[in-house]
Amino acid sequence: MGSVIEINPFTRVEGHGSVKLYLDGTRVERVELCLTESPRLFESLLVGRSYAEIPEIICRICSLCSTIHKVTALLAVEKAFGVEVSQVTSLSRELIATGGLLQSHSLHLYCLLLPDLLGLRGVAELALAAPEQLKGGLAVKRAGNLIQETVGGRLIHPVNVTLGGLGHRVGRDALLQLRDELEAVLPVCREAFRLFSGSPPLPQLHLPYCLALDPAAPPLSGDRFRMTGGGSFPVEAYRDCLTESVLPYSHAKYARILGREPTVGALARLNLGTSLGPGPGGAFETVKEEIVARDIRGNNVAQAVELFQAAERSLALIDQLIAIGRDGAGNVKVAARNGRGTAACEAPRGTLIHSYAFDDAGICTEADVITPTSLNQGALSRDLLELARGMEGGDASQTGNALERLIRCYDPCISCSVHVVKL
Amino acid sequence: MKRPRLAVAGLTACSGCQLTLLNCEEELPEILRSFELVYFPMAESGNDPQALFDAAIVEGAVSTPGDLATLFRLRHASRLLVAFGTCALFGGVAAMNNAWSGREELMRGVYGEGERFESFPPSRFSNFVSVDFSITGCPPEKPELIALLAALLAGTLPPTSSYPVCTECRSRENLCLLLERNELCLGPIIQAGCNARCPATGIVCEGCRGPVREANVAQELELLLERGFTREEIERRMSRFTPEWDYGQRH
Repeated sequence: MGSVIEINPFTRVEGHGSVKLYLDGTRVERVELCLTESPRLFESLLVGRSYAEIPEIICRICSLCSTIHKVTALLAVEKAFGVEVSQVTSLSRELIATGGLLQSHSLHLYCLLLPDLLGLRGVAELALAAPEQLKGGLAVKRAGNLIQETVGGRLIHPVNVTLGGLGHRVGRDALLQLRDELEAVLPVCREAFRLFSGSPPLPQLHLPYCLALDPAAPPLSGDRFRMTGGGSFPVEAYRDCLTESVLPYSHAKYARILGREPTVGALARLNLGTSLGPGPGGAFETVKEEIVARDIRGNNVAQAVELFQAAERSLALIDQLIAIGRDGAGNVKVAARNGRGTAACEAPRGTLIHSYAFDDAGICTEADVITPTSLNQGALSRDLLELARGMEGGDASQTGNALERLIRCYDPCISCSVHVVKL
Repeated sequence: MKRPRLAVAGLTACSGCQLTLLNCEEELPEILRSFELVYFPMAESGNDPQALFDAAIVEGAVSTPGDLATLFRLRHASRLLVAFGTCALFGGVAAMNNAWSGREELMRGVYGEGERFESFPPSRFSNFVSVDFSITGCPPEKPELIALLAALLAGTLPPTSSYPVCTECRSRENLCLLLERNELCLGPIIQAGCNARCPATGIVCEGCRGPVREANVAQELELLLERGFTREEIERRMSRFTPEWDYGQRH
């Protein structure tokens, strides 16, 4: 007899989603991953708007990832118009992007995932059961947020990073304050991988087909993709390598790259060497050996490693900006022209692609945004099915918990995922 | 003292308002101790869907039957309903094209032809339910959220203010981007409370906090037309966060 197990809604993830497990007796027939975030149809909303409005609107796709959406949109528009920005602008964008990564990873690891490791319901119980660990994580998050607020002028949906430059340059005093904050959280970042290095209580899953940008240039962007097995293609050619389909039960689209379900994010970056910088060294090297060969269960520890790399990279960027002093600034004038611009960045959750086409007056005629979570959706569905099959005949609530645990390994951002445009 | 029971939830939105709560890193441990977070799927598992609340703090616009069901449920289950953020109050970015294009057309643009789920033009809460308190902003400002939580603990609601961004901008002695740089700044008609964040960094007010009460919309429109902006350009910019304006409103 057929029956359905449903987990609705997902908890401790960003956005709205659910999973349905279709059973025939005890046998798992199929798994439906439903990303049911209400669609906001950004790509359609942008058509007819001026190029100048694009980055300001598109960053509202997602709050957690608003910074990297904004930066990627700026790069795509600038590419369309052949604009090259100053070194200070470029460094500032990279700094705000690494700040975004710090805040996103620390929120996921310390507020949403840590309760799993300690057998707690959520962040409220965490505040009572493990106040020191939560405090440490929140301090890292605060430092990441301070970077975003200082460079971006606002915590979410930053305003100070603009087309061709910056609203105002971040001053030396503010940079020094950022440096102090980051140095204070460096010890927590260095040790983070130990806290998250235990393998989740899940069986071995499919090995990932990792996808990441070729060693990222500032600001965490790149011109080529790399994939497990040696596949490589230029960012502009993403449409030729990607196939997408709409699923009737989900508001996100299902993407394949070069015919495979890709895995993007911290684990993919670690596997492909798209690193933000050297790791914490020492004991980390052993852990690294383990997770490089591991399935998605290694993703959270890879995120923990990136906390340290991002903090170190931020400090280096701050020093560079201080050393440049008053030179090397200046905003570049942006003149609209007919054309298309495509840019890709490594967002906290993985590769993010923005592509826009403009007419002579700079009015947007086409917009396309491919987010990390929509890229990961195929692999997540595959792993959910594999996990559910591995637990056939078991207790339904245990299976449900394991599926949710797997979902948190992926750290999906469902707000982002439902914004993918037709090909 | 009994801890107030809270629901924190989102409809059609980017989760930024809920994130604003989690971004109160300094205050978060105390907030978590002072309130009972009965329903907060973004950060808590094991939420009881039948629970009752003292206050439901909800972000997002209403654009699907599911959104509407959640909104009605939270309204029924909670003594106070707080519209949290610009989408909840005015429709927000998802509603920006409500005046120009049909939902069907927009859906086709993203998902192509074929089977689709139900969705209608994103709307504000007050079109469907009564709202007890509002916090505006895209994103909201942390101090306004903290003030609400502090007031809830004291068994009341915070005082509200109503003056435009220009008031704060002038007191910060920023360069006026509208008059001195001839840029399309919406400061005169937008609710303050952000301490003129954007103009302070040299960026125009994009109107993310929605209209100030008694906004002199007609005067702003005349001024912008006089400065050479087209009516279409102005309306598009004004509708970015608030689709419904009375362009003839004078005070």
